[in-house]
Amino acid sequence: MHMEGIDTMLSARTLFEKVWGEHIIVTSPQGEDLLYVDFNYLNEGGSFLAFDQLRLEGRTSRRPEQHLAITDHYLPTINRAAGVEGIPNPEIRNVVAMMAGNAADFGLPHLNMHHAKQGIAHVVGPELGISQPGMLITCNDSHTATHGAMGACAIPVGASNQLRHVVATQTVWMKRPRTMRITIDGALGTGVTAKDVILSIIRQTGIGGGAGYAFEYAGSTIRGMSMEGRLTICNMSIEAGARIGMIAPDDITFAHLAQCERAPKGEHWDRALAYWRTLPTDPGAVFDRELHLDAATVAPMVTWGTSPEDCSPIDGVVPDPSSFDDHERSRHVGRALEYMQLIPATPLSEIRIDRVFIGSCTNSRIEDLRAAAGVLRGRKVAVPGMVSAGSSEVKRQAEAEGLHRIFLESGLEWRDSGCAMCNGSNGEIVGPGQRCASTTNRNFEGRQGRNAMTHIMSPAMVAAAAIMGRLTDVRHLTSP
Amino acid sequence: MQPFTILTAAAVPLPIAKIDTGMILPGRYMRRHRRPGHDYSEAFLHDVRFDENEQPRPECALNDAAYGTPQILLTDADFGCGSSREGAAYAVMDYGFRALIGPSFAEIFYGNCLQNGILLVTLDEAVIHQLWAAVRARPGSEITIDLPNQLVIDPAGARHSFDINPLRKERLILGQDDISVTESHGAEIVAFEAKRRMAFPWLPITSQA
Ligand code: SF4
Repeated sequence: MHMEGIDTMLSARTLFEKVWGEHIIVTSPQGEDLLYVDFNYLNEGGSFLAFDQLRLEGRTSRRPEQHLAITDHYLPTINRAAGVEGIPNPEIRNVVAMMAGNAADFGLPHLNMHHAKQGIAHVVGPELGISQPGMLITCNDSHTATHGAMGACAIPVGASNQLRHVVATQTVWMKRPRTMRITIDGALGTGVTAKDVILSIIRQTGIGGGAGYAFEYAGSTIRGMSMEGRLTICNMSIEAGARIGMIAPDDITFAHLAQCERAPKGEHWDRALAYWRTLPTDPGAVFDRELHLDAATVAPMVTWGTSPEDCSPIDGVVPDPSSFDDHERSRHVGRALEYMQLIPATPLSEIRIDRVFIGSCTNSRIEDLRAAAGVLRGRKVAVPGMVSAGSSEVKRQAEAEGLHRIFLESGLEWRDSGCAMCNGSNGEIVGPGQRCASTTNRNFEGRQGRNAMTHIMSPAMVAAAAIMGRLTDVRHLTSP
Repeated sequence: MQPFTILTAAAVPLPIAKIDTGMILPGRYMRRHRRPGHDYSEAFLHDVRFDENEQPRPECALNDAAYGTPQILLTDADFGCGSSREGAAYAVMDYGFRALIGPSFAEIFYGNCLQNGILLVTLDEAVIHQLWAAVRARPGSEITIDLPNQLVIDPAGARHSFDINPLRKERLILGQDDISVTESHGAEIVAFEAKRRMAFPWLPITSQA
């Protein structure tokens, strides 16, 4: 290889390296980078600790206009008109009220419960076009990587110390992660969605496999995916242990941004677009790790355990703990099956459920609701459940398309937007001992309520489960 | 943040292993504002200190006036395990402790405490047991922690050296939290910000949200 070739190789950079590198202010002698935060989203969960500490220290917000406070975790999905006073649980009411007070005190713009754009932060940011390619974004929430689907480097920060630091300085100290490219090529089969792709990836990496890495999702399957699908993929990066997950911006990203309220306009748009096109990973750039997945092998997935890696194609069976070579894994599966009240070798499609939930920052965008409604159209559900749109905007659009009528006529509830039953911060929980088919991202013990059992799957699969009252392969559902 | 150099203060034993962050700051206190006069001192280890009827548990040394106003807590193994609940460090601080000495601490809790100027010292279990015995024998007796020299001096005058990451040590001695370290780069941040705004004038702002 002559010199020119080596130079090209050395200067070839990944998407992540370009965006991260663009934000380094200084590097500490210990190798931590001080990064500039272009934009920070913050929610009410735990953030009051950061503001209390800032207040005690007499500190203020350095760049209030580069923040957006969004109330999403604690808001009930009904009875919004009654306002904060209408929230029956005093603790929940207090958390919602604290967010409003803190945002006002620190001059931070706030999408409160009555705002027309209210929703889940990870749905609202990309929807408004605030999350743009090349940005460094933070949020006091573990699913912040979602915004990486826009080609941004989006990093979760701690709700107290780190958020306090971001508010006070508009920067954050971070150690640069290593890079992993996950390439998915080929066409997805009928009934197979982005959710099934990311669950298959997590099954392969395990929940710790991505720890210390920034993911880039690449390949023809990703390039062919809608913005909604890409957001679903990046959303669950943390479930594989990665705090950052990115997708190169392309014409699909740009087409989405072109119709967003907060995206650049006019001359700014042209300049931004020219910059955004320089961001994708250069040919020849080297990743610390590479992983491949053949889209043709992906089937609709469901979880059967208490960790997102505890998942299998729907045509599988509940595994036997002793079938795992790794001792730790085997023990975990044993305990998980005990919690989930499942017996090895039971076909997954025979697991009966008590209720369903369609929502969360993973799967509550318009495409998700269309997919669920497509399955539910003209049918009745066998178990109760709720649908909570990811944002007020998604809710309006779904109503304009008549999707809400399909949900209501099938027997499901149509609720306002928020995190809702994803983790039950707002008090909307799955009852003890109840089993829920859910479009969410986490199935830890007690995640949706004490002793509640969660099965994660795609919106279409949840819809199919709702109709049959048991986990169901949506591909085998006969016409109504 | 208050600098930490040499502390000589009364110490109190808490010989319970695996005190988790949920015990340090019980869930029901977790969603409360922290303000002067309304801090987490009441919440700190509340259910370890009090029974179901809100009566002080006599067996808990934290309720024993003989220990005076201790600023050093002598813990058992794995103190601060459990969830990353950042309020737990505030509860320790608000109750008045400046240092914890124990056989082991959970990593995240350790970081959260140092960030707030609380020093966590790890010593051999045998030494910890000696310290418990010494302060129990004479409640109110004082222990010295000499951070610059990385020494714990027990009530009998015996010296026990401890390890600490040099950077964390320096920041504690200077009373620098992460924000003050960042603020020392203030000029670089201002220059960086100005350059970035020029180069990428379309970056979103929400003043009109
Ligand atoms: S929807 Fe669920 S995962 Fe997403 S931010 Fe809310 S609670 Fe977290």
